[in-house]
Amino acid sequence: MIVVAIIVEGALTPESQARALAASGLDPRSTRSDGAVGATLRFEGIVRRDEPHPEQRGEPRALLGLEYQTYDPMAQRGLESLARAVAERHGLASIVVWHSRGRVGVGEVSFVLEISAAHRAETLAATASFIDAMKRDVPIWKSPVWA
Amino acid sequence: MTVDVLIFGPAAAAANTDRAPVSVREPATVRDVLTAIAAQHPGLAFALDGARLAVNQSLASPDTPVQPGDELALISLLGGG
Repeated sequence: MIVVAIIVEGALTPESQARALAASGLDPRSTRSDGAVGATLRFEGIVRRDEPHPEQRGEPRALLGLEYQTYDPMAQRGLESLARAVAERHGLASIVVWHSRGRVGVGEVSFVLEISAAHRAETLAATASFIDAMKRDVPIWKSPVWA
Repeated sequence: MTVDVLIFGPAAAAANTDRAPVSVREPATVRDVLTAIAAQHPGLAFALDGARLAVNQSLASPDTPVQPGDELALISLLGGG
């Protein structure tokens, strides 16, 4: 079982994810070589163009982006321990999570979760389970940067 | 004793600071600190519904003792993802 949790400065791009994963020294695709993996699910969280504005009765207001703040090192540890718990509970082959810190613009990716398991049902359940728990327990905040 | 509680995200933006000093009577618990934040920082009231406290970088139960010098952080209004 491979578990990786990485916090990256700024928006997540294929390049920044690959760099961060390489630095971890772990390769989740290696779990496919023995034929036990039947499904990989990748979830991307993307910054939308607007958010409800608290001073305008919750009406949507245009954003430039979101500013993500992490409480370190608790956020990193929280992502890791949550990933490990979800992997064990759902019998995953691998789970990799990347999360942004700092400014992420509209249309850019701030969160990626990639999960592999024997069957799709485990990957779907684990994805929902991870995201729900992360939003509840991992000390990461987002603040709107209004246009 | 007076303890500083670290605050983040929307709560920090609303309070215009990243730490809130709180006076509590010793011996104090997490519950006491949360109650004191509500009483001494009314501007943070909106952030206290369901709020928890991290003590020395770990989520703590309401009965956890708080000692002088502990690192305290208000865990509320999380927005990961």
